[in-house]
Amino acid sequence: MPGLQEERDSVNSRPLIILRLATSATEEIGSTRHGNLSIFPVTGGSFEGERLRGKVLAGGGDWVTANADGTFELDLRVTLETDDGALIHMTFTGVRDDANHYFRTLPRFETAAPKYAFLNRLLAVGTGEIRPDGPVHVIEEIL
Amino acid sequence: MNTRLLMMLHVKVATPQNIGAVPHGTRRTPPLIGGDFEGPRLRGTVLPGGSADWLLLRADGVLEMDLRVTLQTDDGALISMKSFGLRHGPPEVMAAIGRGETVDPRTYYFRTTPRFETAHPAYAFLNRLVAVATGDRRAEGPIYTIHEVL
Repeated sequence: MPGLQEERDSVNSRPLIILRLATSATEEIGSTRHGNLSIFPVTGGSFEGERLRGKVLAGGGDWVTANADGTFELDLRVTLETDDGALIHMTFTGVRDDANHYFRTLPRFETAAPKYAFLNRLLAVGTGEIRPDGPVHVIEEIL
Repeated sequence: MNTRLLMMLHVKVATPQNIGAVPHGTRRTPPLIGGDFEGPRLRGTVLPGGSADWLLLRADGVLEMDLRVTLQTDDGALISMKSFGLRHGPPEVMAAIGRGETVDPRTYYFRTTPRFETAHPAYAFLNRLVAVATGDRRAEGPIYTIHEVL
């Protein structure tokens, strides 16, 4: 099929949101059956993109497990509230490998708001960065 | 988003086990009976035991996929791959796929997000990456073009 080879050479994406998280003091659970578990509570934040923007509600967090190979396994869940009042449940798993400057996530979204139902039907990839005022994730929709 | 080709994965599926209406949708589970994969850095075959795709057709018409597959490289390493995915598209396209017809994969959305686990040092890089895949549903089973997210 024409065009298929080009599609195999790359994956198309487009910007979805930039997510800024505010976190409070880490809760160190310590050694668990999978590794050392730290919980980063999310106390707030904001997100902005062409199709949605708003704030992050307090109450979520990122459950971060230290792997034996020095990488971290991420498991985040937060609630986003858009500027027009819709609630969006967002989760991601991901990898943080500081030695290789690799911090990538696979976000998923669930919402009941018809306006944002497109989020229920897409997969996404995030690039994370730890900044002094908290983590920032640049999230792209996989087309 | 920067990516590079990790592999093409062909899986062969058997007749699905129709679990039926469950609380979150309609569940069916096609076991995988084989397949192969090939890419610049790894190649091999799909082991049939313990590999299947746990499918859930949601009320909004989106098919959620939860693929678990064991890959065996040509030099004997075992790699566990799990990928969550979504498939949806125009009703007529989804119906054609249901009838086992080959349709242009650009006419529907079939994307997955593979993660890998292995104990083999030669393939340890797989433990440290996330990937995205584009699927092409064929009658004998899907073909996944899997890219590493750089």
